[in-house]
Amino acid sequence: MSEANGFEPKIIAFCCNWCSYAGADLAGTSRLQYPPNVRIVRVMCSGMVHPNLIIDTLTKGADGVILCGCHPGDCHYLDGNLTAQKRAEAIDLMLEDFGLEPERFRLEWISASEGPRFAQVMTEMVESIKGIGPSPYVRRSD
Amino acid sequence: MAVRVAEEWLTICGGCEVSILDIGEPLIDVLALLEFVHMPVLMDHKYYGQTGEGTVLEIPEADVGMISGGVRNEKEKHVTEAMRAQCETLIALGSCACFGGIPAMANMYSLDDLYSKVYRESPTTEPAEVPSGTVPSLLDRVYAIDEVVPVDLYIPGCPMNPGMIAEALTSLIDETPFELAERSVCDECPVKRERKSGEPIERPLQDAQFDLDGPLENMRCLMEQGILCLGPVTRAGCARTREAGAPKVPRCIQGYMPCRGCFGPIRMDANPLVDMMGALSSNGLDVRQVLDRRATFNRYIGARNRLRPLPSRPAR
Amino acid sequence: MAKTITIAPVTRIEGHAKVTINLDDAGNVADTYVNVVELRGFEKFCVGRPVEELPRIVTSICGVCPWSHHLASAKANDAIFGVEPPPTGRKLRELCNAVAFTEEHILHFFFLAGPDYVMGPDADYSIRNVLGILQADRELGRRVVRARHLGSRMLGILSGKSIHPVTAVPGGFSKPLAERDRDRLASMAQEVLDFAKFAIGYAKEEIFPNYAEEIRDLGTIETGFLGTVAEDGSLDLYDGRLRLMKPDGTAEDFAYDQYDDVIVEHVEPWSYLKFPYIRAWGEFSMDIDRPVGIYRTNTLARLNVADRISTPLAQAELEAYRKAFGRPVQQTLRYNHARLIELLYNAELAVQLLEDPAITGRDTRVPVTPRAARGVGCVEAPRGTLIHDYQTDDEGMVTDVNLIVGTTHNNAPINMSVNQAAKRLISAGVYDETILNKIEMAIRAYDPCLSCATHNLDGTIALTVKIVARDGGTIANLSNVGPLRERNEEEARPR
Repeated sequence: MSEANGFEPKIIAFCCNWCSYAGADLAGTSRLQYPPNVRIVRVMCSGMVHPNLIIDTLTKGADGVILCGCHPGDCHYLDGNLTAQKRAEAIDLMLEDFGLEPERFRLEWISASEGPRFAQVMTEMVESIKGIGPSPYVRRSD
Repeated sequence: MAVRVAEEWLTICGGCEVSILDIGEPLIDVLALLEFVHMPVLMDHKYYGQTGEGTVLEIPEADVGMISGGVRNEKEKHVTEAMRAQCETLIALGSCACFGGIPAMANMYSLDDLYSKVYRESPTTEPAEVPSGTVPSLLDRVYAIDEVVPVDLYIPGCPMNPGMIAEALTSLIDETPFELAERSVCDECPVKRERKSGEPIERPLQDAQFDLDGPLENMRCLMEQGILCLGPVTRAGCARTREAGAPKVPRCIQGYMPCRGCFGPIRMDANPLVDMMGALSSNGLDVRQVLDRRATFNRYIGARNRLRPLPSRPAR
Repeated sequence: MAKTITIAPVTRIEGHAKVTINLDDAGNVADTYVNVVELRGFEKFCVGRPVEELPRIVTSICGVCPWSHHLASAKANDAIFGVEPPPTGRKLRELCNAVAFTEEHILHFFFLAGPDYVMGPDADYSIRNVLGILQADRELGRRVVRARHLGSRMLGILSGKSIHPVTAVPGGFSKPLAERDRDRLASMAQEVLDFAKFAIGYAKEEIFPNYAEEIRDLGTIETGFLGTVAEDGSLDLYDGRLRLMKPDGTAEDFAYDQYDDVIVEHVEPWSYLKFPYIRAWGEFSMDIDRPVGIYRTNTLARLNVADRISTPLAQAELEAYRKAFGRPVQQTLRYNHARLIELLYNAELAVQLLEDPAITGRDTRVPVTPRAARGVGCVEAPRGTLIHDYQTDDEGMVTDVNLIVGTTHNNAPINMSVNQAAKRLISAGVYDETILNKIEMAIRAYDPCLSCATHNLDGTIALTVKIVARDGGTIANLSNVGPLRERNEEEARPR
């Protein structure tokens, strides 16, 4: 995937089944363009993504992680996204402990109707990671 | 036939060796079944022959080898390799041998940082060059034994629990398996847990609340009292006791002090920092109140790359 | 034909050391080195931690005397936070200190140094150890194992964790003593006291008389002494003023937080361990005929500087000891005798403290508030004066740490004693295993704790006794690193 001279980051997006993944679907069916660096993992709720998973992802190959859930108040499980928000605070602190830049992790609320917003957020994320360079934990063989 | 035992200590404090003595009188009976062939702390067997004329580091053949301490310098690396070559079963004794231990906190810094602190920035030391030549050179960081050679058995703890050593030795003699439980300190802690989320986390600058005259069951969980305790992410084992009639209580809790994780993580590859921060935030506690996270959660387990100098970032 | 003799590792001491002895062309000792090969860096990685956590971190400097580091650190914390522990808190700390000392002194005398005397310095090396004692005199062995273990069980009752304790906290002690536990402890303390009485009697009758010549000569050097005394000049191991005695017996006292005006640490290229000396006495020299700036710590030093001992049995022993050997005593192997007097003192002190009604008080700790400050904590560790010096910022996070530990004070004297012993014992190139072991006995007398001493980076002390010819040729090297040195040079540093 790497280009001759450019850095192509690897971004993992955890998207909740009920809002954000549907938002991604809408972006796709609407034929909106966003960079191919993003790999989506569908989860039932943003509240089920444990910080362990985020830190593992960042220390074992990804250059950036984005966690997407329903807007506050819209959670299919009432308050799963609020749990995700609490955990995001811990993740921000842990990025420091692992010597990672704060930009490498983002929490975003994206609803099923926000296809354009999904494409825009992903584009921004890729640009921002391109700006800070590869994760110090990634050993690229290519 | 007696089981032949060789014991070595590397980057150590000696606490694990004292802990072996803390088996107490039953030790005398265990000793009758063992034949120590090499043990610098108690015995005069030398590396290069008794008058030092040998040229090869010689450790006698043994059925069981025990190593305490992590690997810090070249000499210790050679000793570790020699022990592995000569011993049928190799045991990592104590948290330093298993995970690096407290000396591995030095893994947060480069060797140059350490040297300049010790030999050039100490207020009472005449500034000098780093000693070299007749002293073995230091490795870049502190290594756990199993980063250098394969290990057959782990006995964690800082120091180890004497009961656990006795158990391990007995199982080796009887050829029965010895395994560590995948349970947390909390699983063995008798204190009272009231509800999921407790008081906000504060620094332990005053006494916990406890009932001196009653049993520990009357004390509320320290974590719930707002005192950071590493029990939930630490392997059980310190509460074992051989004292007849004594209650089974984790050692630090007996002192009304919180656990600091000296038995290492519940699973060898777990990461207590991430597990604990995840658990605290999931329970709605303000994780910003946890001070000095990296060193606190990795205090005993800095080898195996858990602690290292933070990657330097490009200036932005 | 210069030659090098190496003793590696120095055994039955706490930690790693090697001895190098260099012999000259005639086979006489020219030069000796005791190298310390380990360094751990506590002074570096304690910086940045919350200061209240240090009493639980620095214990790992030494697993044999963790209580000394624990208490010195707690006292430095008291100074940082600007508080005094309540009387009960202080007494509990003193009690733990006394019990830890009994355990420690039994360990050293019977497990480490003792086998040389009980089994004889020329006994075969395979039985010249505590296991050999167990074989030879099972009853004595059992008694020793039990008495040492009693101390450790008492510490378990007092604090939960006997090795790497956690209960001395800034402002006091976290675990008050319950009445029921006091009663159990009192009977255990009595048993330890009985053992201490037996131990000193046994040593005076059955051991020391057999080695009169060795004790008089082996490793004997002339130095000053440093130790802690209470206000009235009596021996105190937990708190007091430092007293520095010159070789002629004159002494002056100073407050322990002034230590950096008095002591400087010198670095030699062949050892990771530093060499402290007295600034005011001139430029550091380890010449055994004309030493400069050298002083000793540990039991011999403490009994030299103290005017008296506050407990009756130990005071009587001290009087007899002074009458026989004078003051100050310079004979290195007398460290062992002095150690047994201290064992008796601590056993008596533990009994006394447990009889004090205040020991079961409930007020053991005052709360503290973080602030920027410097705090010095000092106790007498079994191996000598132990100084912890911390600085904090406004949040109470550590910004600087300086440590001077008991064995480090004795680094130069140990080197000098080994030099003296090697010169006496080796001539015309003739030496054997017994002679080398006798040289090690001079080291063991200091009860060196090289783990403590090498808190700096990794834990081994290389002891090298180098025997070198007058013309510069090396005759023999006694060392615990030995051929590894060459191996080190061959191999590139890893990674």
